[in-house]
Amino acid sequence: MFDIYVCFYTGVLLVILGSIATAIGPGVKDPIVRTLNTEIPSVGISLILLTYNHTIALLTFIAATVIIMMILLRAIVRMEELGAEL
Amino acid sequence: MAASVLVPTVVSPEVVSLYIPAIFTGLLVGLIGLLAISYQKNDLHALILTDIVSLGMLILVAAVGTDLAEALILPGLVVELAEILAISEILMSREMRKMDKTVELIPLPLSFNMEILDTAPTFLAIILIIYGAFLSGFTGGAIAGGGILFYVLSKMTRGVPSNTWEGVAGASGIAWCLWIVGFLIFFVAPSYWLLALFLAAFGIFIKVAFKVGLIGVIGREEFKKDKE
Repeated sequence: MFDIYVCFYTGVLLVILGSIATAIGPGVKDPIVRTLNTEIPSVGISLILLTYNHTIALLTFIAATVIIMMILLRAIVRMEELGAEL
Repeated sequence: MAASVLVPTVVSPEVVSLYIPAIFTGLLVGLIGLLAISYQKNDLHALILTDIVSLGMLILVAAVGTDLAEALILPGLVVELAEILAISEILMSREMRKMDKTVELIPLPLSFNMEILDTAPTFLAIILIIYGAFLSGFTGGAIAGGGILFYVLSKMTRGVPSNTWEGVAGASGIAWCLWIVGFLIFFVAPSYWLLALFLAAFGIFIKVAFKVGLIGVIGREEFKKDKE
């Protein structure tokens, strides 16, 4: 049994909580923690897209999130190696 | 509440009932992200928070719940990807100029000079590219692009010929033209719609797959410096 309302509102809850966690959550002074926190709203968005049957959008979103994660982590590591203030 | 807007009868009542909550969620998430950016001093942190704002935009678009929404999410994702890539490059090059020193293009904690990197990437990249060509269109392009990126990054420890990037960028431009010609045929000669469909599908496939050429163009200087 697939209840779309449960799926949708779980997604909404995860998106809102995750974005608050990314903005003011504990330990977000560290950019890596902040980047990892953005994964929580990503899961929420995936659930919302699943509710609407946006299959291709969901697949592309997962691929894009992975690439964005790689870009951000690369930027953070390079900045840290430079000794920039983070 | 939703009856005041013109809603086609093909839209299911569930989607209509979810429209208002979805719109408010999107606005709330966008607002949280923008407020956090406005209180942020550090540029890198602001860049990470842009991700949140773009997620709010995705919910707003997805709330429409039709094929149009799906078609609009895909370019939104690619624009977001290109934007984050470009801004992170700008931040890093500015910092490098300020500090007056350089770091390698892709900092890896280990030296990955192993036998498996010589044999496995070719096989995996071929599988990904064939599967992407089978899917065609936007998603296929993303998968094949991932295959090419994986191949290039694994081979990078042994040196990538930096002038192949020029060829990749050129092929990407030609594929873009194919895509536009496909769209033109749709309007000029609608009876050839199958040809137009395939031109558009495979044009966008090659175009998206070769988007990785961007990374090569950005890193061209550093590839040359490292390997020659």
